[in-house]
Amino acid sequence: MTPYIELHARSAFSFLQGASLPEEYAETAAKLEIPAMALLDRDGFYGSPRFFAAMKKQNLRGHTGAEVRCTDGSYYPLLAKSRTGYRNLCRLITRTKLRTEKHPKPGAEAAATPEEIAEFSEGLICLTGDGDGPLALAIRKNEGRACMDRLLATFGRGNVYAELQRHRDRDEEARNQAVIALARSFQAPLVATNGVRHVEPAARQILDVFTCLHRKVTLATAGQLLSKNAERHLKSGVEMLRLFADYPEAIANTREISAQLPFELSDLGYEFPRYPVPQGQSEIAFLRDRTRESARMRYQSGYKRARPQIEHELDVIEKLNLAGYFLIVWDIVNFCRDEGILVQGRGSAANSAVCYSLGITAVDPIGMELLFERFLSEERGEWPDIDLDLPSGEKRERVIQHVYERYGKHGAAMTANVITYRGRSAAREVGKVLGFETAALDRLSSLAPMWGWKDPEHKPEKQFNEAGLDPGHPRVRKFMELVAGIQDLPRHLGQHSGGMIVCQGQLDSVVPLEPASMPGRVVVQWDKEDCADLGLIKVDLLGLGMMAVLEDSLVLIRTHYKREVDLGQLPPDDPETYKALRQGDTVGMFQVESRAQQATLPRMKPVRFYDLVVQVAIIRPGPIVGKMMHPYLARRQGKMPPDCLHPSLEPVLRRTLGVPLFQEQLLRIAMVAANFTGGEAEELRRAMGFKRSAERMKHIEARLRAGMSANGILGETQDTIVQSITAFALYGFPESHAASFALLAYASAYLKVHYLAAFTCALLNNQPMGFYSPAVLIKDAQRHGLRVLPVDITKSDWDCGIENMHLRLGLRYVKGLRAESGAHILREREIAPFADIDDLARRVPQLRKDEMAKLAATGALNPLNAAHRRDALWKSSRATRDAGPLLAEVPENAPEAPLQPMTVAERLNADYGGTGVNIGRHPMAHRRAEMNALGVTPAAALANVPSGGRVRIAGCVIVRQRPGTAKGIVFLSLEDETGIANVVVMAEIFDANRLLIAGARWLLIEGPVQNVDNVIHVRAKRIQALEFSAATAASHDFH
Amino acid sequence: MYACLHASGNTALLLECARAFSPRIEETGADTVLFDIRGLGSLFGGPQEIARAIANRAGIPVDLAIAADPDAAVIAARGIRGITVMAPGNEAATLARLPLNLLPGSPETAELLDAWGIRTLGELASLPPPGVAARLGPEGTHLQRLAQGQGGRQLRPIEDPLRFDAELELDHPVELLEPLSFLLARLLHDLCARLDFHALAADEVRLQLTLENAPAHCCALRLPVPMRDAKTFLKLLQLELSARAPGAPVLKLRIELNPVKPRAQQHGLFLALAPEPAKLEITLSRLANLVGPENVGTPELLDTHRPDSFRMRHFSVPLLHMPAHLKGMPGRGSVTTEAALTLRRYRPPQYAQIRLDREAPAHIVTATLRGNVIAHAGPWRSSGDWWKNEPWDHAEWDIALAGGALYRGALYRIYEDLRTGRWFLEGSYD
Repeated sequence: MTPYIELHARSAFSFLQGASLPEEYAETAAKLEIPAMALLDRDGFYGSPRFFAAMKKQNLRGHTGAEVRCTDGSYYPLLAKSRTGYRNLCRLITRTKLRTEKHPKPGAEAAATPEEIAEFSEGLICLTGDGDGPLALAIRKNEGRACMDRLLATFGRGNVYAELQRHRDRDEEARNQAVIALARSFQAPLVATNGVRHVEPAARQILDVFTCLHRKVTLATAGQLLSKNAERHLKSGVEMLRLFADYPEAIANTREISAQLPFELSDLGYEFPRYPVPQGQSEIAFLRDRTRESARMRYQSGYKRARPQIEHELDVIEKLNLAGYFLIVWDIVNFCRDEGILVQGRGSAANSAVCYSLGITAVDPIGMELLFERFLSEERGEWPDIDLDLPSGEKRERVIQHVYERYGKHGAAMTANVITYRGRSAAREVGKVLGFETAALDRLSSLAPMWGWKDPEHKPEKQFNEAGLDPGHPRVRKFMELVAGIQDLPRHLGQHSGGMIVCQGQLDSVVPLEPASMPGRVVVQWDKEDCADLGLIKVDLLGLGMMAVLEDSLVLIRTHYKREVDLGQLPPDDPETYKALRQGDTVGMFQVESRAQQATLPRMKPVRFYDLVVQVAIIRPGPIVGKMMHPYLARRQGKMPPDCLHPSLEPVLRRTLGVPLFQEQLLRIAMVAANFTGGEAEELRRAMGFKRSAERMKHIEARLRAGMSANGILGETQDTIVQSITAFALYGFPESHAASFALLAYASAYLKVHYLAAFTCALLNNQPMGFYSPAVLIKDAQRHGLRVLPVDITKSDWDCGIENMHLRLGLRYVKGLRAESGAHILREREIAPFADIDDLARRVPQLRKDEMAKLAATGALNPLNAAHRRDALWKSSRATRDAGPLLAEVPENAPEAPLQPMTVAERLNADYGGTGVNIGRHPMAHRRAEMNALGVTPAAALANVPSGGRVRIAGCVIVRQRPGTAKGIVFLSLEDETGIANVVVMAEIFDANRLLIAGARWLLIEGPVQNVDNVIHVRAKRIQALEFSAATAASHDFH
Repeated sequence: MYACLHASGNTALLLECARAFSPRIEETGADTVLFDIRGLGSLFGGPQEIARAIANRAGIPVDLAIAADPDAAVIAARGIRGITVMAPGNEAATLARLPLNLLPGSPETAELLDAWGIRTLGELASLPPPGVAARLGPEGTHLQRLAQGQGGRQLRPIEDPLRFDAELELDHPVELLEPLSFLLARLLHDLCARLDFHALAADEVRLQLTLENAPAHCCALRLPVPMRDAKTFLKLLQLELSARAPGAPVLKLRIELNPVKPRAQQHGLFLALAPEPAKLEITLSRLANLVGPENVGTPELLDTHRPDSFRMRHFSVPLLHMPAHLKGMPGRGSVTTEAALTLRRYRPPQYAQIRLDREAPAHIVTATLRGNVIAHAGPWRSSGDWWKNEPWDHAEWDIALAGGALYRGALYRIYEDLRTGRWFLEGSYD
């Protein structure tokens, strides 16, 4: 082994200032026989957890440090000797980051003053740095001696090393000589590093591309900002010894420094907050008491049956010392209940009877026979994962702020989300750097998802040819090479949607904190996997639109129906609710409203809650790609016998008729079929996360196959099992999670069926969410008998509301009307009703001219003595304009506008244009006679057409879908006044009518009806545009 | 009365047609020309006859409208196909059915009128004027008056731009530079006098010579500072023509000067006077004639790591000279290195044969140099432009040779082109 340790390397986690991943460094260090290495990313430990883990995997030591920017513009390379040193670095970085903007301007980046560096210098080793280091800067200013004095005084003799780097550059060598002279003079030891920025020489090109992106220049204009050569790669000890043959002590000192760095990232000193239990009582005893109390209430007569499981869980919790964690989550849930905020735990927590008892989750795991070990097991010894669903928007923000308040600004933070370069973004950025024209860039980046390095059928070369670009051209070739090169490299740090880390004491001593984009929030420098790897405990506070809808619905029901609905006590088998579900009549319902769900429900025929759990899990790309959906449906309908893949898997798969649908089942399959241990199964689960590399998945697949082969599971069975597991890589649902979602689905269905006005009103107030636009939701509600009233300035509130059990559209639906103006209107109306439009304009001067015009055009001002919308427009345009002194007092001769009322088509246009919805007759209703003459069948009448019968249908396109799983087939939903018709367009028909399908709002489609198990589709054979003068609501397009 | 011609993509033709009838012409838009036809009655007769005469003269299908109001004529020509003659007082009726987008309103007003359901000029014209004024302000009133055919504006006739060009067709072809110079001097003198009259100068002189049995000879001189000195222009053209002779007898000459505002210059009281721009330009031209234009100017380093990268910038004296010590920050590349050596580069570098000993140069042979390497430093590596067709990748060495009798110094820089494996002698250190 060579006596060299690389102590100064930067990874791609320095965001555009390093070009290789920590894992690449670890692998190469092992190959080069470098026994230890330090990663010093810029102003943070962004890459440190991954580096530490990867080095550990290679049985190498990974040292921790950072390059910290100083206010003089230099970067101090600092290494953490001890936990104190690490904590100091964390706090120093946090302090500088939190006083700096999230996206600072060049020159205004986070920086520490020399005094702050001195304040946090304990436990740190300082290298004097490379060209950006403090000593190089001082030498340039002829202040080298003063700088050495200062560094020695700050960090102490023995903690400052004069750093030498040799990248075969004359200027650098001149600086080295100056550094050596200073070191000799101050008797400071020398140390050699290579200032590594990429793992291999070839990655210098990536570094150059990143430099351009960082400095916002192109390769052609970057000039001397680019690297001078490719020498900043990880070099072997032999190579470094040869480079520093004249200063062997500089190499020897790398080992000496390494020996002084015992600190490891596993020794963070993180502690989960302690729950304030009454004096004399332990956390576990307190938790036991609370759980038993609540379980008795929750289970009532079933408590006796549940008790053993609850006690077992409490024992495990005690053994794993997790009582505090459960109490903290319970505390958050209690806060929500006290504040009237709907909350429900999801994810694997729903497997726990303790969570159910404490009210954290809503699914009874004992009744559902869920698997507690999926949530928590002694063997895995890992922290549990409890995700809480909250109403999205302001209420979720309140809960987040509560956590900040409770644990202090430096005691809680959101987890980060590392945004990496992916197909489209990589293509766009590389194209920009190569100086491609904007048009070519657009073309290339639009190609990106298609050549996204996944589909073996779609080779990049083929796609480039199709786009008219020569893949053999050197520039295009270089482009492809670079795009592939920057795939999966970090781009910037985002914020995870809801993961919060809390800490006993100061979280900023554990991991640096930074400001998040959203004001008032701070974020840690690690993503959720990093946090989990290092034992930091996360509570996910996720926003769910449907939670807000349910919560709002309950309030509306209480106010207008005078009834109290408890979501926990809904009738479990309500026949009307299941009837609607069986008919696929599910527009607006949580998780079961999509076209694919609607098409499956009549075949699934759900009759009980578990059917809904399966329904929620089955219509997902995972089961579809894994070819599980059709076998399951066929088995459910008795068309196929259940088949459990392999006899050993029968206990695992019996409840889903032999078809693996849930993550729990897949993990158990891995354990049973491939002899995975709990730990390996856990790794498998992690590899299934969204943001993990395909490489890791490939590695795991190899292990999976080897295990199955050893158990004699071979051939097609093996392939089917592997396919089932990998298909779930991105979209798999845990059973417990599906159960939690199914509860919400059932609740939404129940509320829609029984309290249509309240449910629709809440849905409209929480847009955008779900699958359908407000226009479709309103039309659906109208077909179910709800009367919808227009926006009325004298009656509408900002939100939609209920009036005599009719739905009144709210002012929020007037496009372009600011919430602030809406509030002024409501405040004035509280004082006194508006007499007329002039009165409105006078009393609400905040209303802008365009806002007034929008209100008038949508008919909202008609009740203010306007004969019609145009009359309101005429009057409002005078009211909002200062006519000047000459005309101000001139009375209008005609009391009514000289304008003609709007025609029906104009009104439709104004409705869709002004509010996005239409509450009058459906535009198709106005043309029904014409449609009848054309032989068009209304959507509602399709059920009466025998399967195979040829029909013509016409309507407004409300949804376009081209799922990746459907081999180019396009699904359209056409709405007319009677309902929604589903259309299937085969790939060849789509290709022939591509523009029409993508662009036309109104279509006339001809083809045979397919009616299978009451699931009705029209298979398009001929498609033509339907000329329509009226505008429409935008369709929801999914690709 | 005014006539308006409208035809898409034919402005030049429309203008030519209008000039045949009137000196007062307005180019209303890219496809519309408006002109004054008052007084043409005695020549052609009534408006109908005038319209026919104009349409005949145009020679292509045009839309033509005649009206007492200029804007009414424009709107009708743009909105009605063929010939339209509006009798005074009948404008509103003629325009009534035309669409509103013919009016030049702002997008906001257009949007509002659309919201009101107003689609035609007639509908706008019929709205109560006080109501329109109160809602749309002066713009609305103006648009309404336009819709009524009562815009009432004046014509905005076009004016010819100032041009400084002159040409001379010769009776006999001129073969020699001297008589040609005489003719050039005449033209330049007149042009410079005109420039002087308009208080202008020229920053570019373009010369076009029509030749006998040969394609035209053209040249353009761009001047660093605007001038109007005929002698200087003449001298510069003479130098240019002597450097690049036309190659055939000249039949016709044409000179164009590009007029710009002259630049006023205040010289510093204590600063040395720079050479006169005119004289400097002549000197530079002479030098360029001698050594080639690519070799005259101020060398400027390029922003790249590629060795020996520079370009020649046109030499010009800065407007004001400021003593260097007052300028504050030193320029880029002015890194102070003690005992810095100066490299005397060979352009192009000399091909060298190198014998290596333990991966370092030990002996060198070039066309002019041969010797043993007694000391070396390196290799210094530089590479770049990897995304281009001509990337470079060099390993440089500084070497000291034994003896070195042929040269003043014995320190050299050599490099290996790592892409080809060939060695070069790049220069010697002073």
